[in-house]
Amino acid sequence: MQAHPAGEEHAPAAAIQHGGSGMPTALLGMLLFIASEVMFFGGLFATYFNARATTSGPWGPPEGAHELDIALAGALTAILVASSFTMQFGVWAIRRGDTGKLKMWTGITLILGVLFLLGQLYDYSQLGFGIADGVFGTTFYTLTGFHGAHVFGGAVGLTIILARTLRGQFSARNHVAVEAVSMYWHFVDVVWIAVFSTIYLLR
Amino acid sequence: MATTTLEPRTATYRRSWVLDWLTTVDHKKIGILYIVNSFFFFFAAGILALLIRTELAVPGLQFVDADTYNQAFTMHGTIMLFLFIIPALSGFANYIVPLQLGAPDMAFPRINALSFWLLPLGGLLIFSGYLFGGAAAEGWTGYAPLTDDQFAPGVGTDLWIIGLTLVGTASILGAVNFIATIFKMRAPGMTLFRMPIFVWTVLVTAVLILLATPVLAAGLIALFIDRNYGGSFFDPTVGGNPILWQHIFWFFGHPEVYIVILPAMGVVSEILPVFSRKPLFGYKAFVFATIAIGLLSFSVWAHHMFTTGAVFLPFFSFMTALIGIPTGIKMFNWLGTLWRGKLLLTTAMLFAIGFLSMFLIGGISGVMLASPPIDFHVQDTYFVVAHLHYVFFGGSVFGVFAATYYWFPKMFGRKLNEPLGKVHFWIHFIGFNLAFFPMHQLGLSGMPRRISDYSPDAGWTILNMVSTVGAFMIAVSIIPFLINVIATFINGEPAGDDPWEGNTLEWATTSPPPPYNFDRLPPIHSERPLFFLTHGHGHAAERPDDLEEEGGHKPGDVERRDDDLV
Amino acid sequence: MQGTMATSRLRRVLRIGAPLLLIGLLAGCLLPPEPKTEVGRDVFNLYVVVLILAAIVFVAVEGFIIYAVFRYRRKPGDDTLPVQLHGNTTVEIIWTLIPAVIVFILFAVSMVTLGDVEARSEEPGVIVNVEGFQWNWTFSYEDGPTVNAQGGEPPVLAVPVGEPVRVVLSSIDVNHAFYVPQFLIKRDLINLGENGRTNELEFTITEEGTYAGQCAEFCGTDHADMKFVVDAMPRAEYDEYIAALASGETPPPTGEGDCTTTIEIKANNTQFDIGEFEVPAETEFCIAFENQESVPHNVSIYDGGEALFTGSFLNEPGEIVYNVPALPAGDYRFICDAHPQAMVGDVTATE
Repeated sequence: MQAHPAGEEHAPAAAIQHGGSGMPTALLGMLLFIASEVMFFGGLFATYFNARATTSGPWGPPEGAHELDIALAGALTAILVASSFTMQFGVWAIRRGDTGKLKMWTGITLILGVLFLLGQLYDYSQLGFGIADGVFGTTFYTLTGFHGAHVFGGAVGLTIILARTLRGQFSARNHVAVEAVSMYWHFVDVVWIAVFSTIYLLR
Repeated sequence: MATTTLEPRTATYRRSWVLDWLTTVDHKKIGILYIVNSFFFFFAAGILALLIRTELAVPGLQFVDADTYNQAFTMHGTIMLFLFIIPALSGFANYIVPLQLGAPDMAFPRINALSFWLLPLGGLLIFSGYLFGGAAAEGWTGYAPLTDDQFAPGVGTDLWIIGLTLVGTASILGAVNFIATIFKMRAPGMTLFRMPIFVWTVLVTAVLILLATPVLAAGLIALFIDRNYGGSFFDPTVGGNPILWQHIFWFFGHPEVYIVILPAMGVVSEILPVFSRKPLFGYKAFVFATIAIGLLSFSVWAHHMFTTGAVFLPFFSFMTALIGIPTGIKMFNWLGTLWRGKLLLTTAMLFAIGFLSMFLIGGISGVMLASPPIDFHVQDTYFVVAHLHYVFFGGSVFGVFAATYYWFPKMFGRKLNEPLGKVHFWIHFIGFNLAFFPMHQLGLSGMPRRISDYSPDAGWTILNMVSTVGAFMIAVSIIPFLINVIATFINGEPAGDDPWEGNTLEWATTSPPPPYNFDRLPPIHSERPLFFLTHGHGHAAERPDDLEEEGGHKPGDVERRDDDLV
Repeated sequence: MQGTMATSRLRRVLRIGAPLLLIGLLAGCLLPPEPKTEVGRDVFNLYVVVLILAAIVFVAVEGFIIYAVFRYRRKPGDDTLPVQLHGNTTVEIIWTLIPAVIVFILFAVSMVTLGDVEARSEEPGVIVNVEGFQWNWTFSYEDGPTVNAQGGEPPVLAVPVGEPVRVVLSSIDVNHAFYVPQFLIKRDLINLGENGRTNELEFTITEEGTYAGQCAEFCGTDHADMKFVVDAMPRAEYDEYIAALASGETPPPTGEGDCTTTIEIKANNTQFDIGEFEVPAETEFCIAFENQESVPHNVSIYDGGEALFTGSFLNEPGEIVYNVPALPAGDYRFICDAHPQAMVGDVTATE
């Protein structure tokens, strides 16, 4: 009756870690986490759109404050988009096994990310209104602030990747962490494009 | 037959029992931690419920003042939902899902541990409000502007926000873990449509958690900013919108109630077939109904807001009524499982059948609430309190107890005492209905919810008294349960691998399982691999699933997994 | 086997008795109060239709569950497997379609009734602005007087019976809800600030009488005490009532009273700033009252349950001078009529 071989074996441990076939498990984990983050920002965007739609007066920085600095924000956008490219170059490099290039591109990405953060902080210092200055102020700082926090998180991830690269821990066959951090970094970039378009362009 | 033998622990390496449990990343231990922790919070929130019912038994404020009462029902709701029901079901899922998949553990064991430990931390933070001038007292739904610092000045509400954010984060991490495990760690031969139904419900629940809970986090953070940094999200005096809070909260809040019920439905779907000795009727229909409920749950949130005058009533009423259809399909499939079965009324089975009856009532009152004109009369009254307790308690809590009686033997190697279990069930069942059925009438006759007191002229006294008696009966029923658990630990009947003649893989290993779960797995050709093993391939009454549904795969094809979605 | 005789009789009893019992129970209760508004009658009828459908579903499903528990119970010693039914597509389709039909019917009849509930007449008999606040109500008749709570009693909303009454609902602080159970409708009061758009509710009361109402949206500490009364009376009586209210309102102080003795009282954060004051007996005096917040407050003086003086309300920050008539020697209380528990103090009139 039993036509099958007795004593089925588990897939070997490495196969489980890489999920057998398809996307490595850790990468799936990062993708799912990013999905939850998308919903988190979705909630914040919802507050922005609702505030925008239900506010009767003019929409923008309050009286006496500066107008939004689109030029600076545009520059920051360019920096972040560029950093996505550099991150991807790094991923392609390590897929080829080129740890040297991975080091370089990761380092550049990290620098660009830090530049973005510094630029954001500079913008904040020039704006002349705060989170407690009306609905616009609240939604502006919440949306850009949480995005900035996520950039910071990504920067921490990049630092860890860089450190591990310097210790020679990645190879063409074994670099899931790089893929995961790059996925997170692209996500952070996409969110910024949405934030920038909504707050600075759409108004 | 190859078996692995573990070398006995050498005397020089002994790990402290406490340290072991504190640092474990084994899904089985973590599952037990979840369950034990959640029962502590169940008792705490249950005592708050007794306080509420004692105060409401007769008109007049005899025991507490209004503010203490308001804290009591706020904490009761928050703790029961976030720190009892969801973690308890999570705990069972944590323990059972890897076993049912034939996997050695969850995909991310350390994140699993983190997810657990955030729970007692979050729960204690929420409760700590009592130590700092008063716990949150605005209802578990925390409507703005009442939760704004102007109207809720104490730090209790801030602690509530922070605690809930931690608990929510724990949930989200858990969801990532479950989805990754279910997609990546199934044993060879277990296609998605051969997974146990419990795993399916956990999968859909995890997706709901993943997508809905972050929205709650966004709302809570926005509220915190309003309260502490002068924000204007919800404060109308500075241009904010109170209705925005309701939208954000309920966009999370409605999927939340399906998060609460779906795993319990999964438990029931495991127990009914085993104790009917038949497969679940309409497995695939059930899976699709579960997915449909998950999808629809994101489209109905504003039915909690019908009386605000700010929502498009026809759309939300329609979608809410629609969700009754897949729910009905599930109910009928359960009935189909019982039909012509050979039922063994163990305590687990009694709780599962009790679930069917009680959830039926809760579902019916839910469909009534889907009608805006009816809702206009009964919204924010005890009718809603009745409805939510029939689905949360009669549904999910019955599911938790069913799971406890069903899987206790697997977890601890001993069966809980059956006669004592039946005593627990009957007192519990009668008490539950006494406590909550009268609330339908109370709500219909106009008794609002969340009131610390009511007028003696209102005519609500007798039903409130009956309800209080029922509540104390529920409390009393816990006594035989606790005696049972303790006595079984001390001297219970050994269970063996498979005390219930189960269908699924958790019964294919020892009770409790070894740390790595399985020495070997049986071949997997259907959603009941163990049934196959016990009753054989060629049983006259059995139609092997794969031959019928998957177009002629032969039983030897155990390595093929052609539904790798990722 | 001796079990079958007993079980089959039991089954028969259950099959007949249980549905009867249930229908009896349901008919006898599980109903809203007898509606006292026209729209309430529509809601009541809708509810009955839904209840009947619910009862049928309940009896059928619950009946089957109970039946199955007895009929399919495993006999001791029976080790055989039952037929291993996996499912049946036709049956699945049937029990998808039937609930779908029921659900669509429910939705359709709900929408019809909703139309009735939300209908607005061209010329309502009266329009009242209902303002809710923690934890009381102010009723301002359009082109008419303003009514507040008196003497710790719920405020009374007088309306003409048999004519459409429109209430315009707003809150000045947190969410509240206007609910009269015997009218079978409710609506929220939400403070939307500058972006404000108020809610409205319209109903025609069908029978004279007083109807108890209560806030039905949790609004803080004394939510349970936030009550009001609707008093429906014939149009003629109503007109008299309103006229009496309008003329009986305390006239603004002309400063003519003797203010040799002036007591200063301030109200803020739902508190008076003093807990007691003393005045000479048998002497008129003044109260210089300042309301420091946008919550309605007043000062009234009571001897037990009897109001000796009722000050007019300040609903906004502002000041007013009350001319209080002479008090005999003795001890009295002063309260804010809107917040009689939180805002109370002692008055002593001394010889």
